[in-house]
Amino acid sequence: MLGFIIQRFLQAVGVMAVMSVIVFCGVYAIGNPIDIVIPPEATEEIRQEAIRRLGLDRPLYEQYLIFLGNLLQGDLGRSFVYNIPVLELIGGRLPATLELVLISVISATVAGVTLGIYAGYRPDSWVAKTIMAVSVLGFSVPSFWVGLILILTFAVNLGWLPAGGRGDTVQIWGVEWSFPTVNGFSHIILPAINLALFKLAMMIRLARAGTREIMLTDTIKFARAAGLSEGTILRRHLLKLISIPIITVFGLELGSTLAFAVVTETIFSWPGVGKLIIDSIGVLDRPVMVAYLILVAFLFVTINFVIDLVFALIDPRVRHGASS
Amino acid sequence: MSGQSTPIGLFWAEFCENKIAVFALIIVVLMILLALFASIISPQNPYDLANLSLMDSRRPPGFVGSGGYTHVLGTDPQGRDLLSAIFYGLRISIQIGLAAGFVSLTIGTTLGILAAYVGGRIEALIMRLVDLQLSFPAILLALVIVALLGQGKAQLIGALVAAQYAYFARTAYGAAKAERGKDYIEAAVATPLSTRLVILRHLLPNCTPPLIVVATVQIANSISLEATLSFLGLGLPVTEPSLGMLISNGFPYMMSGRYWISVYPGVALIILIVAINIVGDQVRDQFNPRLRR
Amino acid sequence: MKFHKFLAPLALALGLSAAGAAAAQTLTMGVRGGPESMDPHFSALGPHAEAAKHIFDTLVWSGTDLQIEPGLATSWAPVDDDTWEFKLRQGVKFHDGSDFDAEDVKFSIERIPVVSGPTTTTIYVRRVAGVDIVDPHTIHIHTNGQAATLPNDFIRLFIVSSEAAANHSTPETAAEGFNSGAATIGTGPYKYVSWEPKGDLVLDRNDGYWRGKGAWERVIRKEIPNDSSRLAALKAGQVDVINYVSSVDYLALEKDANIDAIKGDSVYIMNLQLDQREDTPLVRAIDGSDLAENPFRDLKVRQAIDHAIDRETMVEIVLEGLGKPANQMMPPGFFGSSEQIPVPEYNPNKAKELLAEAGYPNGFEVDLYCTADRLPGDGAICQGLGQMLTQAGIKTNVNAISKTVYFPAQARLEYSMFMNGWGTLTGEASYTLGGLAHSKNPEVKLGAFNRIQYKNDDVDRLLQTGATMMDPDKRRATYEEAMEKVMADKAYISLVQLQTVWGAKAGMLELSPRFDEDTLAFFIKPAS
Repeated sequence: MLGFIIQRFLQAVGVMAVMSVIVFCGVYAIGNPIDIVIPPEATEEIRQEAIRRLGLDRPLYEQYLIFLGNLLQGDLGRSFVYNIPVLELIGGRLPATLELVLISVISATVAGVTLGIYAGYRPDSWVAKTIMAVSVLGFSVPSFWVGLILILTFAVNLGWLPAGGRGDTVQIWGVEWSFPTVNGFSHIILPAINLALFKLAMMIRLARAGTREIMLTDTIKFARAAGLSEGTILRRHLLKLISIPIITVFGLELGSTLAFAVVTETIFSWPGVGKLIIDSIGVLDRPVMVAYLILVAFLFVTINFVIDLVFALIDPRVRHGASS
Repeated sequence: MSGQSTPIGLFWAEFCENKIAVFALIIVVLMILLALFASIISPQNPYDLANLSLMDSRRPPGFVGSGGYTHVLGTDPQGRDLLSAIFYGLRISIQIGLAAGFVSLTIGTTLGILAAYVGGRIEALIMRLVDLQLSFPAILLALVIVALLGQGKAQLIGALVAAQYAYFARTAYGAAKAERGKDYIEAAVATPLSTRLVILRHLLPNCTPPLIVVATVQIANSISLEATLSFLGLGLPVTEPSLGMLISNGFPYMMSGRYWISVYPGVALIILIVAINIVGDQVRDQFNPRLRR
Repeated sequence: MKFHKFLAPLALALGLSAAGAAAAQTLTMGVRGGPESMDPHFSALGPHAEAAKHIFDTLVWSGTDLQIEPGLATSWAPVDDDTWEFKLRQGVKFHDGSDFDAEDVKFSIERIPVVSGPTTTTIYVRRVAGVDIVDPHTIHIHTNGQAATLPNDFIRLFIVSSEAAANHSTPETAAEGFNSGAATIGTGPYKYVSWEPKGDLVLDRNDGYWRGKGAWERVIRKEIPNDSSRLAALKAGQVDVINYVSSVDYLALEKDANIDAIKGDSVYIMNLQLDQREDTPLVRAIDGSDLAENPFRDLKVRQAIDHAIDRETMVEIVLEGLGKPANQMMPPGFFGSSEQIPVPEYNPNKAKELLAEAGYPNGFEVDLYCTADRLPGDGAICQGLGQMLTQAGIKTNVNAISKTVYFPAQARLEYSMFMNGWGTLTGEASYTLGGLAHSKNPEVKLGAFNRIQYKNDDVDRLLQTGATMMDPDKRRATYEEAMEKVMADKAYISLVQLQTVWGAKAGMLELSPRFDEDTLAFFIKPAS
């Protein structure tokens, strides 16, 4: 087991190393930030001066080594635009993204699993068919378009909810959160729905497919034959059996939702990390782009690593298969 | 079932049992036709500047413009007839979706089958890469690549391919791997049949059904992803608007009540994507033996 | 807005929103862009300077029409050809109670080259060779050669406290010192409370401000980059005033009884630029073959283009009323703008005649490039321009692209016909004409932005003499003459002057629009 963990850990470290090179070179191949950070009215002298200030006059490998050296000390560099450490910049906006993502993934999971189980349990009822139709829509309709319609309906026409931005915040454990305040919560509703819709469709499908397969298995047949009530069957057997894939997907989705929040945050002007990265791409603030991508890669490598470990714990065949 | 006995005939007959799927298929075909014949059926060529008049700009649906005909869906800020712009936009969106879909299909299938057939280190390398990429969100990857390559059709397709080929590779690999393990392939490999024949005759046909399913879904995804990128300002140039670009151009006018500029292209986009997905769903269900009762 | 920890549950229970509880003494502004740091010397961008003007003062103040007025300096005059004397205001105190004097000015000027970020503030001190303190309220500034417009350079030269910022004046320590508030000590109308990048800047009134006490006890400057969201925030009452209402929303806002729309002229003018090289890359005959020569070198072609442009329609339709037709590269009233330049005439038939006379009866084809994301309406103006030129016979392929692609390519002289905005941020002509209309000549530091290789010897001579004239009246006449000549050549064709709109809750505020588009809390008053 220990050997398996070490092997997977080394693999993860290797992947991170490769990712750092790819991300660094990739981002540094995008345009020339000088043309963007300095105004078009600037003279050649000012231009050269700026290039020197940003360290862009050094060769690429030297820039990478400096970056790597700093990275190993936990320093991801300073933003070109704000001249403050990138980690501080991202850290300051992480709570906004986190609360949005958590609220939408959790509500999508709770609602999606409930609806999905029902649709799988009574597949021919009209309710199930409606649920599935909604899930096809949720799956198909591009999320930015849903965002537009939500704004048009609830913010512009009805005027019930704010069109964008983050509301009032309170400090809890030294971090600013907006969901506990009335004003803050009203701001979070629309973007959370927008972000949740795709996940909801996915959870419905997952839960429905799982339920349909499990309901046809012998376990359920025996349970029914043994005279257990339908409610007990659902609770004891079904939920238990479908929970494993759902938890896996929940973990994976948490990560991808963090990334997908880019679109929602842009539409709703939500001051989170996703908005930051879009803005940074716009102004080619390289350190922020690199740091963000490396952090996302790190997140995914970590999630994969943890999932591998969990599977290995559950299923001994995995670790034998991997080490052979 | 009817007397048709060929596999395709049976498949078709089963497909026809689902009325919604048939309806969706008709819509998809209709939209492709609209895109193909956009230049004939559109009341106006929205890209010919000599045809446009600024005096007609931002008019609501039903306005009779200086061209003498009615703008059924209104006009955009440049005085373009929105209906025509949607037809032409449909053409660009479908083009990009199909192109990205087929290129990813080719690259992905090749990699997947190669990994399954060759095995060993190459297999491990390819599949590790594919798995890693699959866990990474496609939208983010496409975003960075578009930023990297710059604006333009080819660049956009490149980004979409990079974001999507892994799905095809995974699918082809899964199907080919399952088939590779079977005795008859082992036997075929042992005989002096050429590698190409083994792959073409035995591996590829077995990969086809799941690949068709993935392809339908991915084409719909490409179209949606392209629209999203265009909306974020990273897609095509404004003067060559896809549906996503039309939506994006009209977005600022939403607050002042001129909804049609953005809403109608959006409706067209959604009908297209939903229809493709419904067709894809039905095909998937038919290929999935476990759900057969 | 932050709730105090133990008050939050109470406010929640009562269902209070923080905005509702705030008194009328607070002004909440929703603005498009914000500062990049609290260090005023870090960036030369407009929004950065706009935020800094709340906390810090400048020696020379730029008024609503960008003409210079006394600020922390009460007067200035040239002592000799390369020395200016500035007399400093007496009795001014910093937010921490210390006195303002010449030491702070010298410190600020010398600090800039050290701490400036990539959008460099060194442009404000580029002509300064040295600073001498004569007495606590008099300084001499030595320049590299004659610098007739030195006071104009100083309108964004912010004065920080030499004591408070002493330990925060290296690239490593500046951001921390200023962002934490330790060094954010100015003499301006408001005191620093807190700031988050891309978030809120919170300010409290400086009761001892030398111009007098501001109207608001507290000012909150919220950054809301998205035009629609900013407007939505105003409509929902989350903010009291917003800047940059987009032209798209302007008409609807005019009819809205709950909102005042305040329209002001901006310094930005859209200029069409026609390449004057003998060989120009993106022009061809209608059938795709090469042309014998660059048609833009023919004055008749340039005049034809001018006549093909319907500026009224551009303003009324494309910009939905949010602009003015322009006939020169600077707004009227600026130092060097001429009143003698005729109003351009829209006449498509004359355009076609001129084209035929020039030898292009069937017109020709050209690729037009413009920015689509830099200034309000730039992409739309570009597409409108394409229509007008095409309908006059010049087949125009419009490429409205991102500024990040446009400017580098423009600097490499890759375009034949292109359009972008130019803002005369200094309020005078040496900046605009010296940069655009003089032939490119690094030796005299002129023509740095002349990307069409325009060269008119008369204009060159006028601009070179103008730069050294210390007498303002003679200088003004010289620049006016240069402007007339440049506009008659029509290699630069000015199209429209942009306008900006502020939105405010109806009947609540008095705000006079500024040419530089700044939104300054001190100059916003409650409606009487």
